[in-house]
Amino acid sequence: MTKYALYPGCLMPTEQYGYEVSMRSTLPLLGVELVDLEGFSCCGEPLKSINQMLTLTLSARNLAICEKEGLDILIPCPMCHLALSETKKILREDPKMKERINSKLAGEGLVYKGTSKLFHVIDLLHDVIGLDAIKEKVVKPLSDLNFATHYGCHLFRPSELGRPVDSENPQKMENILEVLGAKADDYAEKLDCCGGPLLPVHPETSLTKTGQKLQSIQEQGFSGMALSCPWCHKMYDSKQKKAGETVGAKLNVPVLYLTQLIGLAFGVEEDKLALDLNLSPVEKVLEGDQGVGS
Amino acid sequence: MSITDLTSRAEAQVAERKEINERLQKLQEEVSDFCYQCAKCTSGCEAHKLLELEPHKIVALLKRGLIDEMINSDMIWTCMSCFKCKERCPQKVAPVNILFTLKNLAVASGKQVPGDFTAMLQSAMGIGLIQDIQTVPTRAGETKTREQAGLPPCSKPKDPAKFQQTIMTVAMEKV
Repeated sequence: MTKYALYPGCLMPTEQYGYEVSMRSTLPLLGVELVDLEGFSCCGEPLKSINQMLTLTLSARNLAICEKEGLDILIPCPMCHLALSETKKILREDPKMKERINSKLAGEGLVYKGTSKLFHVIDLLHDVIGLDAIKEKVVKPLSDLNFATHYGCHLFRPSELGRPVDSENPQKMENILEVLGAKADDYAEKLDCCGGPLLPVHPETSLTKTGQKLQSIQEQGFSGMALSCPWCHKMYDSKQKKAGETVGAKLNVPVLYLTQLIGLAFGVEEDKLALDLNLSPVEKVLEGDQGVGS
Repeated sequence: MSITDLTSRAEAQVAERKEINERLQKLQEEVSDFCYQCAKCTSGCEAHKLLELEPHKIVALLKRGLIDEMINSDMIWTCMSCFKCKERCPQKVAPVNILFTLKNLAVASGKQVPGDFTAMLQSAMGIGLIQDIQTVPTRAGETKTREQAGLPPCSKPKDPAKFQQTIMTVAMEKV
C-alpha cells in the first residue's frame, strides 16, 4: 500500500459525500492508503476574487500540514489542486514571498517547505496505478455504456502550471472508462465550464451554462456523464433539475463520479459507493448495464 | 477589526491597494508589450455568450489605464475563471489574472462584494471551510448526514482562534 495524505478541501467533505465515500471504497483496492490528517482548511481558491494573498496563505498552510507528515498529497478537487499547485510554483520562484507566508504560518506552528508531490484522482489512477492494474480488478464490465466525460476546468487549465491532464485533448478519463468496459466518445462541449464558479454572483446564468451542456449531452444520446470534480458534480447532479428549469428542458442525464463507476465495475456494493446520494437518475445506468446493480 | 468590517470594508485599505496596484502595473506593462487585440480570448470566453464579458477589451482598458472604470463595473464579476483565455492566448497574456487582480482592488477599495462571496469568506474565517457540514438529500427523498454516509469526522483547523489570527493578518496586512 502506498500512503497519500488526503486533502479533502471544502465541498467534498461538507456535501459531496458520494465522491468521498466512493474514493475511500475503491482506491484501497488499488493499493492506495488514504491518510486523514487534522487541521485542514479551505485552499483559498474560491476566495481568490476577494484577496489573492489569502489564497496563497491558505494553500501554503494546507501543504505545510501534509509536509509535516512527509506525505505526498491526493487532492480530489480540481480547484484545490490548482490552488495548491499554483502556490507551490509561486513560492518556489519567489523566496521572499515564501518567507512572508511562512511568517504568517508560524502562529500555528507550521512551516512551508515545498516538498510534497501533488496528485489528483485521475493522474493517480492513470499514471501511478496504471490502466493494467485497474483492468485486473474489473469483475463487472460497464458494457454498452457510453459516457460523456467532464474533468473540471482547473484540472487541465492553465497548462503552463503543469496540470494532470492535457488542456485541449484530455483522454485519461476516457482511457480509464475503456478498461472498465465502457465507451467515452468525444463531444464538442467536452472542455466547457459547468458554470459553477459563477454561482455566488449570477446563479441563473450559472445554471444556464450547466443546463446547456447537459441538454447537449442528452441530445447526443450518451448513457450518462462521468466526472471528477465536486463543484461540477454539484452543478450537473445536485442542481440538474434546476438547471433544466432554467434552460426550459426536461433533463434526465445520469451523472456519476468516476470513482463510483470504478466501484461498480469492481463489484463494490452500491451502498459503499453512496449511489443513493446522486440526485440524477443514475438507476438508468445501473439497470441499463446487465449484471451491475441488478 | 471584526469579520464583518473586513467584508464590508467601510474604509479603503490604503496599503493593500498599493500592493495590488503594483501587481496591476506589472500586468499593464506585460499587456502593453504583448497584446495585439486578436480577441482569441473573447472568442472562447465562457462568460462572453451569456454575460457579454469581452476579455480583449478588459486588456485594452488596462493598457489605457482605465482602472477605476473597471473596478466600478459589475463586468469584472462575470468571469467564470475557466482559464480558457490564458490557455489560448498566442502572446501568453492572461486576462483571467487581470480580472482577479481588478476584483481584489475593487474589494480593497471598499466596493461592495457581490453575491455569496461574503458568506463564503465569513465561513472560511470562522470555521476554516467555505461552508459547514451539510445534511444532504438522497434520491429517495430522505436525508443523510456525513456520519450516516459512513465518513470519518471532517478535518478542520484545530485551534480556530489561532487560525483566524493567521488569515486575519493576511487580509489586514500593511505592506
